[in-house]
Amino acid sequence: MPMPQTAASLDHIRRTIPQIREELGTGPVSVNAIRDPAIYALEQERIFKKVWLKVATAWELPDAGDYKVKELPVADTSILIVRGKDGRIRAFHNVCTHRGNKVVPNKGFETYGRARAGVVTCRFHGWVFGTDGPLKSVPMEDAFGQLDKGCLGLREIACDEWEGFVFINFDPAPAQTLAAYLGDFGTLFGGYPYRESTTAFRYSTVLKCNWKVALYAFSEGYHVPTIHAGSLPGFRGIEHSDFKLIGPHASSTIFGAGMDTAPSTQTFAGVLHGSDNHGPRPDLLPADINPARRGDFQFEIPNIFPNLLIHLASGCGYPGLSYFTHQFWPLDHGTTLWEGINYFRPARNAAERAAQMHVNALHRNAWLEDTATMEDTFTGIMSGAIDDMQLMDQEFLIRHAALTLDSYLAGAKQ
Amino acid sequence: MTTADYAILPEAFADLAPLAARWSRPTENERNALRFAARAPDFAAFHDAMAPRLDALLAYLAQCPAEPVETPQRNALMLACAYAEAAPHHELYAGNSEVPFSFDARRFVPDHGDEAL
Repeated sequence: MPMPQTAASLDHIRRTIPQIREELGTGPVSVNAIRDPAIYALEQERIFKKVWLKVATAWELPDAGDYKVKELPVADTSILIVRGKDGRIRAFHNVCTHRGNKVVPNKGFETYGRARAGVVTCRFHGWVFGTDGPLKSVPMEDAFGQLDKGCLGLREIACDEWEGFVFINFDPAPAQTLAAYLGDFGTLFGGYPYRESTTAFRYSTVLKCNWKVALYAFSEGYHVPTIHAGSLPGFRGIEHSDFKLIGPHASSTIFGAGMDTAPSTQTFAGVLHGSDNHGPRPDLLPADINPARRGDFQFEIPNIFPNLLIHLASGCGYPGLSYFTHQFWPLDHGTTLWEGINYFRPARNAAERAAQMHVNALHRNAWLEDTATMEDTFTGIMSGAIDDMQLMDQEFLIRHAALTLDSYLAGAKQ
Repeated sequence: MTTADYAILPEAFADLAPLAARWSRPTENERNALRFAARAPDFAAFHDAMAPRLDALLAYLAQCPAEPVETPQRNALMLACAYAEAAPHHELYAGNSEVPFSFDARRFVPDHGDEAL
């Protein structure tokens, strides 16, 4: 269900730079939450097992029976996200209630498949579960003496959708609904036709760094002229502004005055820019993103606590790119699974397809430049040589995320 | 399929057949492997031959379905995708087969890496 577009403006979430400095401070921020391995167990218990986490999109699982298995070491579990016969997407621990085996075997961190006849069957002893959870049948059931099948369904995890993004919450009784947790973020980013951009290119890598090092590296525009001098040369000014604070989340806008586009990129981009389907569509942006409809809008960059970024571009930044997401999944204190996904509207002809491949390759290359810093940064922080990060205005998403993290770790009520 | 099969192109682009045999591969992982092994003169030669023809190739592909079935159309798309990957290495990265100052690209895993076009 799309969030209703409210007539009320979101002026109350907007901040000027003086307000940001006043509210979040300007002092150095401790690196202790990155450096201290003991913090990780607290993050697991007080954040990752308590708040809503994006784990899938509805369009990845278009038909009844479609499922995704996702390994989530941060919650010490494997989850099964599956669309039931009733069309609803549910999430379960991928754990057989017989003796604990994985019901659906996986390969790597994400595995897709389709359940036949609305059931999944554990390969160990053949216990059969409905895609809506209940235990349907048990081979040699009589031999158990007593077996209360009614209580032995798959263990369900709270699951809800926002704009087709599927979130779960490991808390058996989540403190907030997903809508309440997202709060004004849901309104700020609501209403964009995310589900139309079903052409996805997903990259992942395992980084030897704490998850927050990776998150923070992707959370600011300050690095763009330096780190991306290779892939995005000749920037004629980048503006990171229109700051917003939204409870545990925050957002801001990247404007750019253009760059020295390579000749081949110009040719490929022309295919997408000339298309109604892929060209810049500032008109599709939710009303409170780039409200002045500035022509140099590139994308909105939010940080959705704790580990999700959805960069909404609507074709205004990288040619034809609708939006892209990053997620940072801790595997342990010093290891992170990073996932980056580029979303395009489906190509309608082969020229659009080739142009999307070019844009995707360029963006992947820029990500390779981003990720180059992360393991070095973590090594530097672990060395003990510095105790603090120095953060400038454009790094406010980091400052805000660090403060939010501290508040959750302290157990403060959100 | 052999690399010679990738070189069967629409008649208007038949002269690009040697480039197609050299660079066209159906999957991102295969294209990347070729790219990592290429050197500056390889990228320059590919660029110099393709750049003047890119407009025409894309105009041709605009008339083809996004997932072409016919061999010449499919190979034309494969060639455009190979160039889409290779062009930045000549135009932006000074002939370097890696993105300069970057993370090890071999550690980046594309989900779609083994999927054919």
